[in-house]
Amino acid sequence: MREIEIDANSMVPRDLNRAVKQAAKEYDRIIIKNPNAMHYMVAGLTDNTEIVIDGSAGYFAGTMIDGAKIHITGNAGWFPADNMTDGEVIIDGAAGDGVGQGIYGGTVVVRRNVGSRTGEIMKNGTIIIGGNSGFMSGLFMMGGRIIILGDISDDAGESIIRGTIYVLGNIKSLGKNAKIEEIDEDDKRELQELLPSYGFELDNEKYNNFKKIVPRSKRPFYGSKESEEG
Amino acid sequence: MCGIAGVVFKDRKLHPVGDIMTRMLDALQHRGPDSAGFSIYGGLGLAEHEYLLNIEVKERSGLLEQVKEAVNSVTPIKKEEIIPSVENYNIYRCKIALNSFDELKPLIMDIDKIEDVIVLNGSHSFEMIKDVGSVKEIADRYDTYSKMGTHAIGHTRFSTESIVDRYHAHPFQSYITPDITVVHNGQITNYWKIRDPLERKGHIFETNNDTECIVHYIADKLHEGYKLEEALEQSVKDMDGPYSYIVGTPNGVGIAKDQLGLRPGVLAENDEVFAIASEEVSLRAVMDTHDIDQISPGETRAYTI
Repeated sequence: MREIEIDANSMVPRDLNRAVKQAAKEYDRIIIKNPNAMHYMVAGLTDNTEIVIDGSAGYFAGTMIDGAKIHITGNAGWFPADNMTDGEVIIDGAAGDGVGQGIYGGTVVVRRNVGSRTGEIMKNGTIIIGGNSGFMSGLFMMGGRIIILGDISDDAGESIIRGTIYVLGNIKSLGKNAKIEEIDEDDKRELQELLPSYGFELDNEKYNNFKKIVPRSKRPFYGSKESEEG
Repeated sequence: MCGIAGVVFKDRKLHPVGDIMTRMLDALQHRGPDSAGFSIYGGLGLAEHEYLLNIEVKERSGLLEQVKEAVNSVTPIKKEEIIPSVENYNIYRCKIALNSFDELKPLIMDIDKIEDVIVLNGSHSFEMIKDVGSVKEIADRYDTYSKMGTHAIGHTRFSTESIVDRYHAHPFQSYITPDITVVHNGQITNYWKIRDPLERKGHIFETNNDTECIVHYIADKLHEGYKLEEALEQSVKDMDGPYSYIVGTPNGVGIAKDQLGLRPGVLAENDEVFAIASEEVSLRAVMDTHDIDQISPGETRAYTI
């Protein structure tokens, strides 16, 4: 494996992203030292490169990536992995609002608490939150799955259209068009396969405690007739 | 956008908070290029009933003498300095004494009547520094690096609601209760609904700026006997719009965030320091940010010493 370190100290995001994209053509692993919570790190990378951000990231870390695997060893600000289409963003610390906003695919993992609007307008992919998730998580969710191992706050699944939010902790309140269902054996199997692969080891019994938030109607805004069209 | 920050040292001792707040705001420079400002509490060391006035004076022959005469006609100037600013303006800073806090606002209004002169603030327990330009330019101009204090709030401004000048730079101050200041990121959309009852009670608004509305609202609540935490909680129920704001008082700082959580706010705390800001990058200027909290929609936090 070919590996390179880039020191982000005294760099602006444009310079750093240019250096990362250039290095991604030649190296399998890029370590960004001294990130200092810089915004927009690793924006738009389309190579399947492993990136380690050695510290905290600011806003929009890993926005619009397709295939890259990003590991942030500190915290992240608002909208990490925004609109990613494929790849992986793993955050060891906490993160801000809008984790995984609008993602089309790939996996986002935050090991500790996150802010509000997790997974808003996501279309597909997976978001795993090790701690609590805030207000309006799953806002206008259109597909994919969000898994919350802690509590989920007010108006969970607000105006959810498709997709599933799995919650292990408490659900403070539901948003419009959201309802709670018990998980079935398929759900349980899916979670049992997925969570340990990201280092979340739960007692087998705990999987029975998951609840899932799903849409009441696929057409919440356009009448009651069930249809996938329009 | 705007960037906001606040820091409190829990031991109530003097620390280089001017330097710390400069670094916190410089890290938020990208959130607003228009102006920046500081309220640095606890380091002025004024005697009871002494006040510091910061007065913007245009460079015009005889104008400064007119200002001094207006001040001296009410109370003798004890100490003075002139800080050069930009666009042919200087900041005239003087120390005065009054019989009571109630005399401060009328004196300021008298001085404001002089053409090309605006009193930026009058304070007892904090030093306000605000000007147009970048954080570093202002820090160099006013030597914020050397300012000592127990706590501070600060702002870097991206103007959306009103003109860019020294007066409209944050912090804003209210004279309803002594030494209350606010820095703000966002908009208050039910501005007139908040302002109207305050004006009916006799509170004087100098601008149509929504930040001034917040500071009067909080000062009014504190005047009515609310604790800072209670005033912040009530404000989130009463105020609409996307906002987060930080309040500075003689005893601490607090933050409030709108109920939809449309503006950012993060917090980090250890045994020595309580710090809040728009973004983690600002907190990193003062402490280890391994454990940071997001301020949730509709949430308030405060720390008083």
